[in-house]
Amino acid sequence: MSNRGVRNLFVFGSLFFFVIFVALTFDTMKRLDKRAPEITAEVDEGKKLWHKYDCIGCHTILGNGSYFAPDLTKVTVNKPEGYLEKFLVNPKKVKSTAAMPALGITPDEAKKLVAFLDWVSKVDTNGWPPKPVLATFRMPQTPGVTVYQKYGCSSCHMISGVGGTSGPDLTKVASRRPDPEWHKRHLREPSALVPDSAMPAYPQISDEELNQLVDYLLTLK
Amino acid sequence: MKYESQKIAQNFYTFAVLLFLVQVLVGIIAALQFIWPDFFPLKFNIIRDLHINALVVWLLMGLMGATYYVVPEESQSELWSIPLAKFQFWATVVAVTAVVLGYIWMGFDPQANKFVAGTLLLNEGREYIEAPRWADWLIALSVILFLINNFMTMYKSKRWTGIQGTLLGGLTFLALMYLPGMFYTKSMVKDQFWWWWVIHLWVEGAWEVIAGALLAFMLMKVTNAERHVLERWMYIEVGLVLFTGILGTGHHYYWIGTPKYWLWVGGIFSSLEPIPLLLMVWDAFRTTRKHRVVTNRLGLFYATSHAIFNFVGAGLWGVIHTLPQVNKWTHGTQITTAHGHLAFYGAYVLLVMSMIYITLPLIRGVNEFNTSRGYRSFWWMTISMIFIVLTLTGAGMVQTYMERLIGLDYVTVKATYNFWFWALRAIFGVGFLYGAWLFVIDFFKLGKEPVEVTSTATETVA
Ligand code: HEC
Ligand code: HEC
Ligand code: HEM
Ligand code: HEM
Ligand SMILES: [Fe+2]
Repeated sequence: MSNRGVRNLFVFGSLFFFVIFVALTFDTMKRLDKRAPEITAEVDEGKKLWHKYDCIGCHTILGNGSYFAPDLTKVTVNKPEGYLEKFLVNPKKVKSTAAMPALGITPDEAKKLVAFLDWVSKVDTNGWPPKPVLATFRMPQTPGVTVYQKYGCSSCHMISGVGGTSGPDLTKVASRRPDPEWHKRHLREPSALVPDSAMPAYPQISDEELNQLVDYLLTLK
Repeated sequence: MKYESQKIAQNFYTFAVLLFLVQVLVGIIAALQFIWPDFFPLKFNIIRDLHINALVVWLLMGLMGATYYVVPEESQSELWSIPLAKFQFWATVVAVTAVVLGYIWMGFDPQANKFVAGTLLLNEGREYIEAPRWADWLIALSVILFLINNFMTMYKSKRWTGIQGTLLGGLTFLALMYLPGMFYTKSMVKDQFWWWWVIHLWVEGAWEVIAGALLAFMLMKVTNAERHVLERWMYIEVGLVLFTGILGTGHHYYWIGTPKYWLWVGGIFSSLEPIPLLLMVWDAFRTTRKHRVVTNRLGLFYATSHAIFNFVGAGLWGVIHTLPQVNKWTHGTQITTAHGHLAFYGAYVLLVMSMIYITLPLIRGVNEFNTSRGYRSFWWMTISMIFIVLTLTGAGMVQTYMERLIGLDYVTVKATYNFWFWALRAIFGVGFLYGAWLFVIDFFKLGKEPVEVTSTATETVA
């Protein structure tokens, strides 16, 4: 083939693929609204704040962004809103070791940001992030452990290296807090004992479950 | 150098190499923040914005300088307008400086990043295209003036060559692909969809086309290879880049809320993207072998290294995580960072450096120059970069295993399991900085010091 022929192949071939790409883009745009909930005014304001504070400069969302801080795609599924709002306003107050700075976010802005994050968590992402397939931690299956798992305490607390880091590590909590009554009151209403606590209250735990849970916590020395 | 106006390239190169130093310096600060998040007055996000924006801007400046060298030579005429080129240069410098000061201001006072007339004043809060909208317009204007200047040069001389046609085609595509990043969408899914048009179609589309054209130019310059052979392979390479790369954008549409068919489209086409990059490596070796006359061995050394590391960084380190079955687990981990670093370094940092080493001696009118610093700089940078990338690949594998497969917490993995990887990255970063420093010194001294080593202008490769 002459050079002119190869050149034409390059130019028209590229145009051909670009046209297909544009066609797929149109098709995608048509389908997107069905794959995500409606965008309310609050969600939109939250998204604007997301840009204003350059959250993407530390975090990923839908897996894209920076790799300095956790991905936020599903954060509202794992953490209650009240906690997230408190954290956003002043991270170090909630968790003294937090690497996230206080950015001057107001409680009202925090609400909007959480609404935005909640919208993202409901997008149909073809199953991403995947569930861990190798998770095989064996905790002793006592009644207390079952309650601990049922109420998702491990999304915020770590025991022996497993679990989240939003709240204090509970591996040795009983040495710090040996009093069962303290735990019972704290679980029912954390802020009554710890001013401004960011831990959610658990009025929904039954009395029996509460006893089992606290028995379990007291074994953690 | 035949044309006086080619000298304008030096302005662009100078600004580029200075920004390069800034980029690497802040990169080291960012690396240290992984260990001590609060040690520096500016927080990680601001430092990272500076790091990646400095990178993109200095590469663009370098490519513009290179184009101002290539186009007069290929059109065999002076540039259409030198004052326009100078204006465009200074306007870019002013705009870039203003944007940088804006980021720093926002670092000290996040509230300063206000909405003004519907757009953010200092930082758009979107990765790589953080520059605020007013700066987008200034950058677009600068690029348009730049394109006009070059097209007019070609148009007046009526001499169109394949190399400059492809080069300017790539640059026009680059300018057009800036536009999809310039509007607001309420949906985060659409936001990321259009954002990838900019990012992916730049680095795996327009910029690779530019690289293909410049590679052909450099090979022609340093060997006496025939133009029509080089241009033919160039068309094949850049053609395959776009045939695979355009639909390859799909590898970013697996998990952001877009339909499932992208898993097929993206997986298949992006897996083929390394092929043209391998062709470029072969092209560089074939040309050197066949034409044993080499002027400027250091230049050829850099150009060949660019071709090799383009293939390794973009091609190999890209393809390992591009299939959806793998990407599902590695998406957004340090594996991505490892790939991002080696790809940008191999494909574009080395490209701009090789263009500098090939054109700068000609601009300064020297036949011989000291090459030893140039080689030392290469090895310091390249070996440090390889180790940075290996460290990050290690961190990425640990992260994928611990966090994604086993389900441990992100913060735990980062703070404990990956701690030593962060420390090593910072150390190798200092090695890289030393190499970059040598390069910048060499840039300013090239041709201005007595020649010690024997590096005759034309020599025959044994
Ligand atoms: C300077 C970097 C940085 C910036 C900017 C940043 N974050 Fe964070 N963020 C972090 C880090 C690091 C963590 C992990 C927890 C920790 O150690 O602080 C985190 C944690 C979080 C969490 C999870 C808290 C938990 O306990 O699970 C949320 C939610 C969050 N950030 C939201 C945001 C939002 C919204 C923004 C923008 C308004 C933002 N972040 C900006 C660094 C940052
Ligand atoms: C959204 C995150 C979150 C969840 C979910 C959560 N906690 Fe907490 N927890 C915290 C925070 C923040 C603190 C620190 C403030 C405080 O002591 O109230 C805390 C404190 C504690 C303490 C006191 C630790 C100490 O050293 O003082 C215990 C015990 C505790 N949580 C147990 C639990 C149990 C049991 C559950 C599940 C029923 C649970 N938490 C669910 C966030 C959480
Ligand atoms: C010169 C060319 C290339 C450059 C400069 C480059 C650069 C990058 C960068 C910087 C990112 C991260 C983007 C972000 O910050 O979110 C990225 C992501 C990615 N790249 Fe490339 N790349 C190149 C070529 C390729 C090729 C040829 C392939 C595949 C064969 C590839 C596959 C990928 C994939 C799959 C991702 C997404 C990673 C994830 O899911 O987190 N890249 N690239
Ligand atoms: C020329 C050389 C370099 C290039 C081309 C480069 C390129 C990039 C790019 C494209 C990104 C953003 C995308 C990503 O995270 O993958 C990035 C982020 C980063 N770079 Fe570099 N970089 C270079 C040198 C360095 C050096 C020497 C260091 C310091 C050791 C460094 C430290 C970092 C850090 C810490 C981040 C943030 C990564 C994260 O979010 O986890 N870079 N760099
Ligand atoms: Fe890509």
